[in-house]
Amino acid sequence: MLVRYVARRFLASLVVVLGVTLLTLILMDRTRGTYVPGIDLNPSLRPEDIENLRANLGLDRPFYVWYLTWIGAVLHGDFGHSMIDGSPVLSHILDRLPNTLELTATAIVIGVLIAVPLGVIGALRRGSKTDHALTVTSVAGFAVPQFWMGLMLILIFSVTLEQHGLPWLPSSGAYSAFNGGDFLDRVEHLILPATVLSFFYTSIWSRFIRSSMLEVLSQDYIRTARAKGMSERRVVYLHGLRNALIPLITLIGLELPGLVSGGLVVEVVFGWPGIGKLAFERALQYDYTTVMGVTFFATLLVIAGNLLADLLYGVLDPRIRYG
Amino acid sequence: MIGPSRVAELEMPGAGVETAAARPAQSYWNESWERLRDNRLGMAAGVLILVLALIAVLAPVFSAVLTHYEPQTINLDQTFVRPGASHLLGTDELGRDTLTRLIWGARVSLGVAFLTVAMSLSVGTTVGMVAGYYGGWIDDVLMRLVDTVLAIPAIFLFILMSILFRPNAVTLAAIVASVGWGSVARLVRGEVLSVKQRDFILATRSIGARDSRLMVRHLLPNVLPVLIVAASLGVGQIILVEAALDFLGLGIQPPTPSWGNMLTNAQSYFFHSGFLVAFPGITIFVTVLASNIFGNAVRDAFDPRLKSH
Amino acid sequence: MTQPVLEVQDLHTVFATKEGTVKAVDGVSFELNAGETLGVVGESGCGKSVTALSIMRLQRPGRIVSGKVLLKGQDLTRLTEYEMREVRGREIAMIFQDPMTSLNPVYRVGWQVAEPARLHHGWDKKKALQSAVSMLGRVGIPAPESRARDYPHQFSGGMRQRVMIAMGLTTTPEVLIADEPTTALDVTIQAQILDLLRHVNREFGTATILITHNLGVVAGMCKRVVVMYAGRIVEAGPTKDVFAHPTHPYTWSLLRSIPRLDAEQHEPLRPIEGVPPNLVDLPSGCSFHPRCAFKVERCARDVPVLLQVGESQRSACWVTQAGTELKGA
Repeated sequence: MLVRYVARRFLASLVVVLGVTLLTLILMDRTRGTYVPGIDLNPSLRPEDIENLRANLGLDRPFYVWYLTWIGAVLHGDFGHSMIDGSPVLSHILDRLPNTLELTATAIVIGVLIAVPLGVIGALRRGSKTDHALTVTSVAGFAVPQFWMGLMLILIFSVTLEQHGLPWLPSSGAYSAFNGGDFLDRVEHLILPATVLSFFYTSIWSRFIRSSMLEVLSQDYIRTARAKGMSERRVVYLHGLRNALIPLITLIGLELPGLVSGGLVVEVVFGWPGIGKLAFERALQYDYTTVMGVTFFATLLVIAGNLLADLLYGVLDPRIRYG
Repeated sequence: MIGPSRVAELEMPGAGVETAAARPAQSYWNESWERLRDNRLGMAAGVLILVLALIAVLAPVFSAVLTHYEPQTINLDQTFVRPGASHLLGTDELGRDTLTRLIWGARVSLGVAFLTVAMSLSVGTTVGMVAGYYGGWIDDVLMRLVDTVLAIPAIFLFILMSILFRPNAVTLAAIVASVGWGSVARLVRGEVLSVKQRDFILATRSIGARDSRLMVRHLLPNVLPVLIVAASLGVGQIILVEAALDFLGLGIQPPTPSWGNMLTNAQSYFFHSGFLVAFPGITIFVTVLASNIFGNAVRDAFDPRLKSH
Repeated sequence: MTQPVLEVQDLHTVFATKEGTVKAVDGVSFELNAGETLGVVGESGCGKSVTALSIMRLQRPGRIVSGKVLLKGQDLTRLTEYEMREVRGREIAMIFQDPMTSLNPVYRVGWQVAEPARLHHGWDKKKALQSAVSMLGRVGIPAPESRARDYPHQFSGGMRQRVMIAMGLTTTPEVLIADEPTTALDVTIQAQILDLLRHVNREFGTATILITHNLGVVAGMCKRVVVMYAGRIVEAGPTKDVFAHPTHPYTWSLLRSIPRLDAEQHEPLRPIEGVPPNLVDLPSGCSFHPRCAFKVERCARDVPVLLQVGESQRSACWVTQAGTELKGA
């Protein structure tokens, strides 16, 4: 039954979340001995003050106490405070989150919209020149460093076009401050980063769809469909593709950590104000707590995304729904 | 249209008897190596990787012979020189010769990548084998651990660890491997689970072989092909990840050249020296492409059934 | 004599493989009369399935290189793919061996059974579904209305095969081709499905070609039988006669090799000597001669033709055509 399936996936996710908290805190433990909040703001803190501050945060207590305090805080929406100015990490995250979601979601949509037709074509025209060309492009696609592709696209579509007096695409930010940030403006800003982010995944997914289609098309029920006298188009799309798409959802779920990671690099290259760029900026300032808070949040995002994918999979595959 | 099951029926039992007798039986490893050798593209890619590795190891020799420059020598009169006779690929913002830095950069990129692979494989294989072999709660706990590690978006973790540990090449490899071992563990566990069922394992246990002996001498050789494939396919990805970290300034720090950190300041010189951006990127691309192609060739060689044509 | 509803005339289907050209169907001719059940018997790989698929023109990647398939006089090999689709699922229906994998897992059973009627008769969803439900009932599926809403994985193997039969019959086709319909099922379920096929043949009058490697199935179901070996028909005739006095050494050996409950305990089993031939490299002359206990010199030279031997049977054997009776230890 679907409900049981979802419940099981949710519990598994919970276990993973707990594992992640443990892992990240173990990492952070290294800094506990030296972490002093606010020291960058006020280097002249007296040793007693430092002691007080640390005691307040439970930093001088045994690990498990700290861990529990931390979990408690998280459950209350307290993801820590910046070491730089003490501001709550969560509010920074929430500020930037919509931008990251916008970028990631667009990349996934573009990826799927391009990968599926390419994969289907590759499967239907297997062995042909088109198929070989597509395979070569895909293989090349996974070898391109995302940050470099971003730089090159900026070079070509922003810098060079501008230099030649042609209309050019913006190279940073999510929208232009002075243009007012209307829809078209946002789209303009979104094109390059979303393309870069989706490029790598499009390559993987199109190969995957191709092999998934090939496998599905060799199944007996496809032969049955043909024996029923329907058009090849109906066989391939209605009977075939419908089955081939199901595993893609699982694949996208599995790729989510990579997507969110890739998102960070793309955000940095394009100055896109998302949580990835936040983590990066703060990392340069050694603001451990913020980085950790963002890492934890990003992980939660990935886990939530996976759950969503599992749910979708359960809905689409009747063998799960009515197991 | 008939499916493959039908075409297989056409192979009459005994039809292969005459043809099989014509070729001598060979071990799996020999056969795989032959299949690999026949794959010209794959071999070419493999050779390229070997050449790059050679360049990395003999970087001082190559740079002395080819370019006569040192990778870290700053020469402020010669900044942003365009590619030409004196500097084959031009110079960067501090007048350092690009080609020389690319040659030396191979050391970092390839060195860290291979080190990472070695670490991932060791840890991942051990964990995977233990989990697969013992099963039960050990398997559950270890696999939950793997799930946890793999759920975290890697770059965030790497960034966090970078600022906590201030890495050099070796620790950088350890950082990247700290996530990489997870997929290896899963893969190995899967293989172990399927091999475990086979009769020869049962037979070995029944003569009282110790667990560790069983794992090392019997399971490991069977798991090796999968490992080799995973390693070959993984190298490319690791090179990309490491380059990204360097680019962000959180990996190998300048002045040590690495293909990634040569691009860290790219946006500051776009307007006049955009060409500089191309070179390190192309180098990374070619290297990763070669390693992916070689990895595919290795995989096809070990398991031709997986071939999609 | 009324015209047979289906006539296969000297059909040749080949497959191109790395090792050479496989002559999967090498000059097969037979007829199917209205309302009758014809058995096609042979080992795995003898070409019986490919023959069936060639009739449906689903033989790809194979190619029909020559011959005719006449459905009520119309040559199916000459039709365009578009025209052939009108025939498939409507005039000729086919059910396959493995019911576990022959149904699409993501669509409801009722929808799949209703599909041919919707496609070929243009019925709207409701009407087609109603007809599907009634057909499911007629093939013996209890509570067909609610079962129609279920998915294939919720049915057992035998039930799925019934669904396949229902699916084949919704358009009341002239011909039903059943390719090893019971091979993948339990013995007890086999009997049920065969009963169903018999019942369907009587009630709907659909001419049926039953393909199987199981002689017992043929004995119970088919008035006439055709025996295939290495892509050719070696014997044809009324089942009773063929089984009682086979006129081809292959059939003869097959029948002898069946272990019998009433045999003496110490009697050794009698398998057919040798191995089936490589279809890329067939023996010269009669394909069976290397394994034949009755062969003469001519057998290795000339390919036998299917000719009348005795009153009702036809056989492709020089030996029996010359009058020799098949007897032996």
